[in-house]
Amino acid sequence: MAARREIIESLYSMISLVFILVACVEICDAATVVDVYRLIQYDIAGEQFGSRLASLNHHATSLLSHNTDLSRTVVILPVRDLNLTFIKECIGQKKPLGGLLLMLPQIFSSENKDGVEDDPNSEKELIRIQLTELERLLIHANIRYPVYFAFEDDDIDAVLADVKRNDATGQPATATTGGYKLVVSVPEPRKVASPAITNIQGWLPGLKADGDSNQLPTIAIVASYDTFGAAPALSVGSDSNGSGVVALLEIARLFSLLYSNPKTRGRYNLLFGLTSGGPYNYNGTHKWLRSFDQRLRENIEYAICLNSIGSSGNDLWLHVSKPPENANIKQIFDGFSNVAEELGLKVGLKHKKINISNPRVAWEHEQFSRLRVTAATLSKLPAAPELLESTGGLSDNRHFTSEAAVAQTVSLVAESLARHVYGQQGRNIKVFEENSSLAVQPSYIQSWLHLLSTTPRVAPFLSKNDPFIMALKKELADHTVEVNVQHEVLDGIFTFYDSTNAKLHIYQVASVTFDLLVLLVLGSYLIVLFSFLVITTRGLDDLISLFRRPPSRKVKTA
Amino acid sequence: MTMFHFLNCAILTFGPHAVYYSATPLSEYDTLGTSIKTALVYLITALIKLVCLATFLKVSESDSFDPYQELLKALIGFIDVAGIYFALTQLTHRNISQNHKFQAVGLGWAFADAVLHRLAPLWVGARGLEFTWDYILQGLEANANLVLCISLAALGSLMWLRKNKPKTLIPIIYACAGIVATMPSITSYLRRSMGWHFPEVVGFEIFTSLLMALISWQLFSACQRPST
Repeated sequence: MAARREIIESLYSMISLVFILVACVEICDAATVVDVYRLIQYDIAGEQFGSRLASLNHHATSLLSHNTDLSRTVVILPVRDLNLTFIKECIGQKKPLGGLLLMLPQIFSSENKDGVEDDPNSEKELIRIQLTELERLLIHANIRYPVYFAFEDDDIDAVLADVKRNDATGQPATATTGGYKLVVSVPEPRKVASPAITNIQGWLPGLKADGDSNQLPTIAIVASYDTFGAAPALSVGSDSNGSGVVALLEIARLFSLLYSNPKTRGRYNLLFGLTSGGPYNYNGTHKWLRSFDQRLRENIEYAICLNSIGSSGNDLWLHVSKPPENANIKQIFDGFSNVAEELGLKVGLKHKKINISNPRVAWEHEQFSRLRVTAATLSKLPAAPELLESTGGLSDNRHFTSEAAVAQTVSLVAESLARHVYGQQGRNIKVFEENSSLAVQPSYIQSWLHLLSTTPRVAPFLSKNDPFIMALKKELADHTVEVNVQHEVLDGIFTFYDSTNAKLHIYQVASVTFDLLVLLVLGSYLIVLFSFLVITTRGLDDLISLFRRPPSRKVKTA
Repeated sequence: MTMFHFLNCAILTFGPHAVYYSATPLSEYDTLGTSIKTALVYLITALIKLVCLATFLKVSESDSFDPYQELLKALIGFIDVAGIYFALTQLTHRNISQNHKFQAVGLGWAFADAVLHRLAPLWVGARGLEFTWDYILQGLEANANLVLCISLAALGSLMWLRKNKPKTLIPIIYACAGIVATMPSITSYLRRSMGWHFPEVVGFEIFTSLLMALISWQLFSACQRPST
């Protein structure tokens, strides 16, 4: 008996195994599988923003009209010809949709580095403006359905064309008319537990004169490297603040050449800081500065923060929080404007007071100023951005960032810094002369800008030992001594949710009515076949008697 | 909804077998045993075929039509004929007339083929969300195959079981049996070498199977006439 039971039990396990195998089998085989990137989902102090759902399983439509019920359909919208006011209304009225799939033009893909040449510049710029607007809208809205971004390609264009044709014939696709079904099967988004931010710093120690017991003064060059955008997996931020990071690395490289020789080593310590948490009121910078001891902080003569310097144009702004009459600020500004004149650039001074009670920190230098360290931000942005704006989102990519502009800013900062360090203010000398061994290297800038433009860097989704952070650390270690990496936890009010990218399966589906029709046809086919076979093998009478029998039986029982 | 499609395809694939069994006198004479035995023979034949194919056939990377390989495949395909021969002559059947025996054998054979070749793809594919016509076509192909199997069994019973058949018909019978037995190779040739698509191939199969069925029916009744 026991043996038999064992056999039966093993049989059960076999059967369950078969069922598991069968269940596993049905996952694959979609017509098209597309990479999609989800709209960011985050909370600020408990208030919910972004797309609150991730999984998607609905029919596709291309219309966004008022009268149809869209709560069970996914609307596919190409950003190229997007009606912004319409979307605004839709989100403003909290219209329930099944989902939203936004199609981005290929030029916004980070893989596409060479650029699409057939796009005229003006059109590109137009889409960019629209995308920036859209991004601002989506980031600050609380959307109760999944929103995904995808890039236009041939497969999905074909699907979209089909869907549009279906829509044009008058019937929007639902379960009864067939069409395409879009499926994203991902688990419910979970909170990112204690989002980490990582600051990296490197020192270039200056040369102390013999018998000088005093500490050398320090000049800090700072850039925040992380980004924030509507789609975290697409937020590469070439300009904000990839350009600043590249400039910082190049300046570090140039000064490491000077400081490697005792003869040309300046009497200033140079501190290079790559900070994280930039979009979140420069939280990383705050933590980084707090970790300094008092003496070190007091030794910082001034700090230059680099932010969004990669867009083309000759106007740069020096943003400060102390009044322009301040002697230190005046000195920094004069240093910059002198060199700028020689380079054909224009530097303006912008003063913005800090309101201590306001938690918003618009510029990185404000974190320094709050601790009474003289600091300024060099940027091409003329005005302070709002929270979570100009932080390297969707529209900020390689195509809108100019290497030449970065190189120019590098020369500007490096040159004015060198004049300050070596006490050559106001004199027309060139330390980083072109074609010398100290020249700014465009290839170096280009390769780093490329790397930054292909690496999404939203801090909560970057792990502590992310290859990108390791690369930054290694690069800084090559040019400076004493590289330190500081891991911190992002401050409380922000909560982020994972599942930033997914696979979208597009299935071509038949409708229920079609299946019913097929069933009807099959049934009649089988009946005809049955009758045919009965007639040919047994004769017509048999067939008729087959149908007669039941009533006769009924009569008998009655 | 996708389960619905799967059911539709399953009805199309396996329904005709059931209808054939219940509509013809097969059900009256209770020939299910014969059909099951034939299905078992089919299983063994399929195994032998697989072993042969694995041993003698090279795996071709390209999807092109290689005449030598195809010839080999056709020869291996004749193992089927041997299987049907075995099922018709060697198996001990309960007392049923030749007339019903070949039908039971053909039915069992076709059903085993359908289960073995079409059930798994159907289960895997037709339940998916993606809609294609492939599984409906595959069901139609199964129907054609049923007709073809019964005609082959009919011709086989004519060849091996009936002794007193008109001399003039013998070459025709053999020729028809040959054509029916090489049908898989012919369709494979059409698909690979001529580049026919699945719907066209299925249409061809249905057409030829009906034609062959008609011919073998005529032959069968022609052979029956002198004996009665």
